[in-house]
Amino acid sequence: MASTEKANCWEVMACDYGPGSSEPCPAALDVTSTGVNDGVNAGRICWTVPGTLCFGEPQGDFVDKQERCLACRFFLQVRDEEGQEFRFVKLAQGIRDTDILHARITQVESLMGIRDRLRARFNLDAVIAETTRQARILTQAQRSLVLLLRGRPPRLHGEFRMRGRAVQVEIPFDDSSAVGYAAVNDQTVNVRDPYQAPLQQDDVPFNQAFDEACHCRTDSLLAVPVHDSDGRVLGVITAANSTKGAFSQDDQWFMERYAVEVGLAVEKARLLQEATAAGRMASISESLAGLSHFLKDVAHALTGTSFIIRRAIDRGRMDDIKTAWEILDRHVKRLADLCKDVLTYDPERPDEICPGNLNATVADAVSLLQAEARTRAIDLATELRRGLNRWPHSKRGIYRCVVNLVVNSMDACLPSGGHVMVATDYRDGQAIIRVSDNGEGMDAESKEQVLETFRTGNKARGSGLGLPTVVDIVDRHGGRLEVDSEVGRGSTFTIYLPRAG
Amino acid sequence: MGEAKKKVLVVDDDQDDLKMISMILEPEGYEVVTAENGVEALKKVESEDPDLVLLDVMMPELDGFAACDKLKSSPESQGVPVVLLTGVAKQITKSKYPIDGVLRAQAEEYLEKPVDPEELLRVVASFLS
Repeated sequence: MASTEKANCWEVMACDYGPGSSEPCPAALDVTSTGVNDGVNAGRICWTVPGTLCFGEPQGDFVDKQERCLACRFFLQVRDEEGQEFRFVKLAQGIRDTDILHARITQVESLMGIRDRLRARFNLDAVIAETTRQARILTQAQRSLVLLLRGRPPRLHGEFRMRGRAVQVEIPFDDSSAVGYAAVNDQTVNVRDPYQAPLQQDDVPFNQAFDEACHCRTDSLLAVPVHDSDGRVLGVITAANSTKGAFSQDDQWFMERYAVEVGLAVEKARLLQEATAAGRMASISESLAGLSHFLKDVAHALTGTSFIIRRAIDRGRMDDIKTAWEILDRHVKRLADLCKDVLTYDPERPDEICPGNLNATVADAVSLLQAEARTRAIDLATELRRGLNRWPHSKRGIYRCVVNLVVNSMDACLPSGGHVMVATDYRDGQAIIRVSDNGEGMDAESKEQVLETFRTGNKARGSGLGLPTVVDIVDRHGGRLEVDSEVGRGSTFTIYLPRAG
Repeated sequence: MGEAKKKVLVVDDDQDDLKMISMILEPEGYEVVTAENGVEALKKVESEDPDLVLLDVMMPELDGFAACDKLKSSPESQGVPVVLLTGVAKQITKSKYPIDGVLRAQAEEYLEKPVDPEELLRVVASFLS
């Protein structure tokens, strides 16, 4: 038996989920961790155990809970008590984890988690918030900032929060600051105390312009350029003031790889934003990523089958022609369906509410997003109730509502095992469209924001992609929208449409 | 000829794509075996001993990048050339910071979707002739 002189998490945190309780926490059950940091089971290495019941609620895996864990008083207590002997991760016996090793393991684990998270974000603000948060945690920096090039002449723009207030930062796109230098020269800058000469990178200037803009002093700085898919510089991710005194080669390694993911996510979010702002093909722009994937798929099939058919004609192979033709046919039909969909969207035409097949409208919207759902390994399914063939609705309006709600639901899904269900139903003289997911769910604050959007249709501060649009359209049908959500279990949005609008 | 046919393992989760790539390769004298995901692909590499692997990147379960990584880290399979079919090749090959040296170093070649069949045959031939 390990020494049990030292306190385990359930003792320090005084919870009811210790070993022998009626509902033990996963950390209390993990017998393979006994002895690590001199704990009982995983009682002193609980941060590595997924689904622990901290604060009475099931937590996520390490990537999800790391921020909370690294600030948890029990974690800090164990670290202090163990000192040099502290084990951050559980390794095979005989391996002593060094600082470098466990920092690298954390970074690699997190990089994998972050990639999935960023890929699931469509909204630029959400991408930037996630990026900033992760860059700070993973490089153990006090501050982090994402600056993107905007305007003419281009300048680097960023935003951070200070005492609860949003502060805008604007830096010239030139060599006058270390951050500007990273962007202009398309080069990583990793410096310690940029105010002191000599610097590690001799020609990198002071960071004064940046510090003045941010009202702070930079002691150490890691600035990595972010690129779009054509290799053009989009901006810079920065981490400032390493808690270790300086950013290591590992930190730099991590940030440079991370920057590739950030570049992709920013580019995707921007394309979407531009398309939406232009107001063209609005119903489709919201799923631009899905559309582009769809077109690539179709082009791939058409190029391949047309080659097979051409060659089969030359060689007189009728069987090949027949098989390839069937594949070709399927994809031509997919394309024709898409064209029909684009053509029926006419911003000039009034948005008429007239009897039509509500299920067909819902199914059309869902099928547009199937390709995107597939690339994100989300199971997107429908459950349509018969008898809604002549329900009064605006085909275009409801189509947009469903696209919006499904995109939001997919965004809420966790990186694996996502399910989104779109169902129609009929009750008390009203048609019902329900979009539910098993995603991260909303906390009280987010839910309040959504309800506020319902009440006001506030366009300036929507809580998600296109929710105000949904509110607006449902309003015009004389219907109503409801939300039900629980953290960790997912959300359900329900549209009620009366027969007489 | 008398020479054994060269064997290509095609890995894709889409039935149409799988059929299509097979139909492009088979008439040119290649033997094609297929797998529908990365996990199956690893098994087939062992049981079928292919001369080349064509690997789609976007797949559920184990994706193409991860499957490639596994193939290249095992002494038995690391000699088999891998061609990745991907919608994001541009990002990887042009980026100043490829996602680890792994991707650039490990797959022998990338083809971006939509794939030009002539180019596909050229690339396959370059490994198998």
